[in-house]
Amino acid sequence: MQDTQSTKDQIRQWVQETAERKGIGTVTDEESLTENGVIDSLAIFRLVSFLEDTFGVRIADEEIVNDNFKSVDDIDRLVQSKLARQV
Amino acid sequence: MAYLLNQLLTRSAERYPQRPAIWARGRSLTYRELEERSNQLGNLLRERGLRKGDRVGLFFPKAVESVVAMFGVLKAGGVYVALDPGAPAQRVEYIIQNCGMRGLVTNAAKLAELNPQATPSVEFSVLTDPKPAETAGNQIPWPALASFPGSHPPQPFQPTTLDLAYIIYTSGSTGRPKGVMLTHQNALTFIQWCADEFRVRPEDHLSNHAPLHFDLSVFDVYNAIEAGACTHMIPEDVQLFPASLGRFIATQEISIWYSVPSALVFLILHGKLSSLDLSKLRIILFAGEVFPMKYLRQLAAMVPHAALYNLYGPTETNVCTYYRVDRATLESLDRLPIGRACANTEVFAVDDSDGVIREPGREGELYVRGPCVTPGYWADLEKTHKMVVPNRFQPHLEEKAYRTGDLVRLRADGDYDFLGRRDNQIKSRGYRIELGEIESVLLAHPDVREAAVVALPDEEIGARLRAFVASHNGAALGHAALTEHCASRLPQYMIPERIDLRDVLPKTSTGKIDRVKLASESAAR
Repeated sequence: MQDTQSTKDQIRQWVQETAERKGIGTVTDEESLTENGVIDSLAIFRLVSFLEDTFGVRIADEEIVNDNFKSVDDIDRLVQSKLARQV
Repeated sequence: MAYLLNQLLTRSAERYPQRPAIWARGRSLTYRELEERSNQLGNLLRERGLRKGDRVGLFFPKAVESVVAMFGVLKAGGVYVALDPGAPAQRVEYIIQNCGMRGLVTNAAKLAELNPQATPSVEFSVLTDPKPAETAGNQIPWPALASFPGSHPPQPFQPTTLDLAYIIYTSGSTGRPKGVMLTHQNALTFIQWCADEFRVRPEDHLSNHAPLHFDLSVFDVYNAIEAGACTHMIPEDVQLFPASLGRFIATQEISIWYSVPSALVFLILHGKLSSLDLSKLRIILFAGEVFPMKYLRQLAAMVPHAALYNLYGPTETNVCTYYRVDRATLESLDRLPIGRACANTEVFAVDDSDGVIREPGREGELYVRGPCVTPGYWADLEKTHKMVVPNRFQPHLEEKAYRTGDLVRLRADGDYDFLGRRDNQIKSRGYRIELGEIESVLLAHPDVREAAVVALPDEEIGARLRAFVASHNGAALGHAALTEHCASRLPQYMIPERIDLRDVLPKTSTGKIDRVKLASESAAR
């Protein structure tokens, strides 16, 4: 449970830092990151690199779709499912 | 021959009433529906008192209503201005006031972002929301269109091909965006050339990748409509994800694609193109920035059957030169030419001694003349006279040529190579950016004493922005506060990726900020 918490925290922190760099305010876990502009065509690949480096997972190009990256919750779900498969 | 943009639609609606004209967010309109809705909107705007040449802003995310609005405004004799729905309110309000817009086509959410006191010229807003909430007196809900006649447009005000059709705002070096005015003739010169060169047919499916406030979208919308073809506006949640974008091209059976090179690089690297059936894709057009040869060769291999064209031209002329990629010479080319002039257009390069270049290998600034050239910038005669200049090479004609500010070299085969800019303008993801505009915004912060913005070359997106700032009297400048300051005044693509705080900025021997040094320091790290 501790791990689950920290994974999401780290994702949330990355999202919040990116939002601040772009002048976007506080972002909730459910909010659409494509609609609020946190994720653009550059940020998406920085985010993927961040997730791969931080959590040691591999995200394939075909997994980089809206359903997996819409919100902090969705990104967390993707990472959790990958971590679960590694165990 | 059509001499007004809206005639393209009316003609195709007569020939192909049942064919789909536009697709966006899972909804589409046939030619008849688009013609009737835009007639209704034109009649509504006329009833609201819109007169010839009045400006109307389009301020909402891309939808089928965007195209209804473009044609509705034109049919009413007006001039439309597509506003960036992602831009900060201050910038949008500036543009609205700069050209004195009388009306907006928008939605309730976007309208709420604007301060009515900052936009006093706006007399009314048409809201595109399908289910209107309560509307104030000067707000018109979309369903109100139904009460206006759709069978005919409003009575025209003796329109000519020289009347303005739309204004596109681009980055301005003095800190404010500037409005490039385009006439029906300007746009039709380009559209006619495209129709002849690319032979767009009713069976074609075009993609619309570029935003509507970017002139690449002129081809996507008007050339589809000229031909009776269908344009597919790419949804945001598809556009951002290359695998989804690749699938979109396949499933929508896109046959003509037009975008900035960086969007194509994104697809080449992550779009899984080789696993898709792209057999319908017959033409790929790109413009707006330099396409790295390495990626162009990969693209050519991934879609061996498609014709590839490098198009070149500033907003002030739209596309004025083109180069059709020759697969036989692609391996040996070290840079991609911008090619030669489109039909009904002349381009020439002028060297430092003011002579037109005729021998291959020589360099000069590219000039453009012909009916594609803008009449100038909205309410800025000074800038207009600087850029749209008397053509002294045709002294018997009182005509103008546009100075592009781009350095080119004439090749032995008669094509031109693009070498770079004469000034501080750069391209990032195809967006045209004046570094001076970003510097002006940073300097407008009360604690900022010096500011410089440099562009670091980037293979995938053209350039990355890096800012250097020094404060007044050692005032503690917060990185977050500076970013927020930029974000409330500049579109996202102009916000520097990094802002470095320094005590002083390095100077050249003449006392100017040493941007070359700053750039090389940044690149080294």
